[in-house]
Amino acid sequence: MNLVRWSKAAFITVMFGMLAAPLLIVAGVSLNSKKLMFFPPKGLSLQWYPAVFETNQWLEALTTSVIIAFTAGIVAISIALPTAYFLWRHKVLYAKALFLAGVVPFALPPVITALGMLIFWVEVGHVGQIWNIMIGHGVFLVTLPLVMISLGLESIDDEILEAARTMGADSRRIFTTIIFPMVLPYMVAGYAFVVVLSMNEYIISYFLGQHATITLPVQLLASLRSGYSPIIAAASVMFILFAVVVFSLVARFGDLPKLLGAWTPKE
Amino acid sequence: MSDAAVNRLEGDAVGPVWREQFLLPLKRFPIGLYPTFMMGVFFLIPFFIMLVVSFFARTESTYEPGFEFTHYARFFSPLFTTHLLVSVQFSVLASILSVAAAVPFTYFISRFRRRPQVIALVFLLCVLTLSEVIVAYSLSVVMSRSSGLPSFVEWLGLIDRARSWYPGYLANLFGLSFFNIPFAVLILFPSCTRLDRELTEAAQTMGASPVRSFTTIVLPLLDRTIMAALVLLFVFTMGAFVTPTWLGRPEDTMMAQLIANQALNRGNIPFAAALSMFFMAVTIILTLITVRLRRGDPVRRT
Repeated sequence: MNLVRWSKAAFITVMFGMLAAPLLIVAGVSLNSKKLMFFPPKGLSLQWYPAVFETNQWLEALTTSVIIAFTAGIVAISIALPTAYFLWRHKVLYAKALFLAGVVPFALPPVITALGMLIFWVEVGHVGQIWNIMIGHGVFLVTLPLVMISLGLESIDDEILEAARTMGADSRRIFTTIIFPMVLPYMVAGYAFVVVLSMNEYIISYFLGQHATITLPVQLLASLRSGYSPIIAAASVMFILFAVVVFSLVARFGDLPKLLGAWTPKE
Repeated sequence: MSDAAVNRLEGDAVGPVWREQFLLPLKRFPIGLYPTFMMGVFFLIPFFIMLVVSFFARTESTYEPGFEFTHYARFFSPLFTTHLLVSVQFSVLASILSVAAAVPFTYFISRFRRRPQVIALVFLLCVLTLSEVIVAYSLSVVMSRSSGLPSFVEWLGLIDRARSWYPGYLANLFGLSFFNIPFAVLILFPSCTRLDRELTEAAQTMGASPVRSFTTIVLPLLDRTIMAALVLLFVFTMGAFVTPTWLGRPEDTMMAQLIANQALNRGNIPFAAALSMFFMAVTIILTLITVRLRRGDPVRRT
């Protein structure tokens, strides 16, 4: 009995330790005092963190990634909210087909989506623009806010809507005063997911950027190929911290287990 | 009934369906046009263009309109078949390894109290969204000669001289499996939270060991979810690009790398498009299988 408990604890510890390893290694490498990528670091220094903001190449990639991520989030939400609302209000084939179209991008290997979008922009004659990646990420990552907003809409009690209707509220008023505030947390969570995933996405950015628009992951892999510097690790650590902050906020202000599909007993 | 009558009946049936299911809802909810436009123009049309381009003729620098099956014919060439086999092999192994680790792990997390569970989920989401570039790089640091496991093993005296473990077959397999684990956990998590605690508790009061109750009660209840996770992660691994680029040898080149290489380095967009079409067909078939699997899931229904 005790053996089982011990092996269970050991297993959980090993799993968490293994999954945390990349975070720890990158953090360690970023502290090297010389321009070498050692782990454990040789000599401690924080100089590579300000260096990310002082080197043009890195600062540009960072700004590009941030702008793309926040815009892609807006694009994704703007598609996901009407689609989810449409299906929830009118359970018609049109809405079902639209919902399905929003789920497909996430199920396909991203390289296919990337190539399709690249060919599209080549045909349109609009290659390498930052807008291409913004729309590309927005469409590619629409699945997450779509599923989350649908979850939020399903959680709205029919009786509240019925009460509002009998008291004379029209559908626009019901939407702005009841539905929108109730799905807002789910929208914010969906937005957060799109932003973080867009910041880390590689292949669509690589295909659509065409060396004209360079995001941070693309810059990271390019510099790993050309030469090592702890700046790479410092930039990665800032990425990781960004994700930690975003998901902690989502967990703090929302029901994270429920967002991820945990079953909660009805009261 | 004559054929003409059947046709007339079906014609009548199709008309109202189109009106009621598509035209009237749009009239009542015109905002629906916007998501239709966005998904249509920026997602469906690109795929349609890609399908058309996959039949085009390749020219010196780009492609020109045509209708030929040359690119699809190349599926029988060793260039394609070897890389396909390599991808399938890696994807099968990586999905099995990651799911095997994730099933007990997710089960334990689903039994955590709320606060530790939320912390564990935040941690997993951070690892999940970690750029493939960062994961592959940090694993390469662990496996490099100068700093990491090889020199540690040398220090232990298990090997005479440390050498870098990457790029290599096992390095790539480990990287792919590692990257899959957080996804596997999130796929399994909903079903694990739906498992009835009373079942395992009852089994244990009746004298079954925790291991036995896990293998005889939990695993059979999760079988469909596990199958679905295996298929989804197989598809997911087939699309891997950064990990095999960084941790794999040239002979470990996978499908996504092949497509990227053909499209960007060799400028053979029609062949890359044909490869993508094949890749998409396989993905859609596999995804439909998982949807069917999940539909009949006894755990999800409760």
